[in-house]
Amino acid sequence: MKANRYDHITDDELLNLYTADKNQQWIGILLERYTLLLLGVCMKYLKDETEARDCVQQIFLKVLMEVGKYRIDYFKSWLYMVAKNHCLMRLRDKGTKAPKELSDYHGATTEVDKQELITHEKTYDLLEEALNELNEEQRQSVILFYLKKNSYQEISEKTGFSLMQVKSYIQNGKRNLKLLLQKKINPGSEGK
Amino acid sequence: MKEDLKDILSNLNPEIDQETLLQYLQGKLSAQDQHHLEKQMIDDDFNADALEGLQKFKDKKNILALVDQLNTDLKKRTEKKKRFREKLKLKFDSNLIIAIIIILLLMILSYLIIHKKMQG
Repeated sequence: MKANRYDHITDDELLNLYTADKNQQWIGILLERYTLLLLGVCMKYLKDETEARDCVQQIFLKVLMEVGKYRIDYFKSWLYMVAKNHCLMRLRDKGTKAPKELSDYHGATTEVDKQELITHEKTYDLLEEALNELNEEQRQSVILFYLKKNSYQEISEKTGFSLMQVKSYIQNGKRNLKLLLQKKINPGSEGK
Repeated sequence: MKEDLKDILSNLNPEIDQETLLQYLQGKLSAQDQHHLEKQMIDDDFNADALEGLQKFKDKKNILALVDQLNTDLKKRTEKKKRFREKLKLKFDSNLIIAIIIILLLMILSYLIIHKKMQG
């Protein structure tokens, strides 16, 4: 893709420009940055290329209509929320049951917790300990991905898991590692 | 080892450029670059969902054409709005409004003068 002459302007600045003069072209420039990702998200939920394309167009329209109504702190996550809700609504309208999210617990650890984990001096010893407590599939995938720096494809070839399994073992493994670590560092705070 | 372990904890997420992502989808990246991109994508739900969906496209080469088409439509839509706004602006050009007010005032004034003279 060609370098865009607006590339140096951040999302926030584009939003501010729009707030200042209400010219929708700014939002157009902003949305273009996410077209590919939006297409991917719609495809994930709707599983049909034509429907995914229509869905992206509807999301564009929705954003153009609604962006002025809210104070948006972080455009990317707001857009993701709008897109995901739109896809789920479409699925509901079609009578399809929304797929169960693998990443339901994503974000359970707060930013403060993360900082606490990273700076804790014993963390790395505990992390190695925790790694051994994961189930075999997750342990293997996490080690190959983060420590041996293998790609999903390579991990899939080495272990015989499908690409989707590899991805979910890494995501779930990482999440479990964080929970195990938190338990080890603050044994009393499990119910928090 | 410790540095690598750190990767599990941190949420590194610099933005990924579309071209690299498209190359990844078409299997054109080296294993090392593949790993690098996957590591960047995994911590952000938006990116992770998008990657999963994009991998469902049968012909990965079509993706770029679809994105271009969507962007062209989007541009048309936002530009149309702009032109309409410009037209509106022209209609309510401040000079035009001032000129109309002056003409109206002159007309009222001349009517009053003529009216007074006729009465006198």
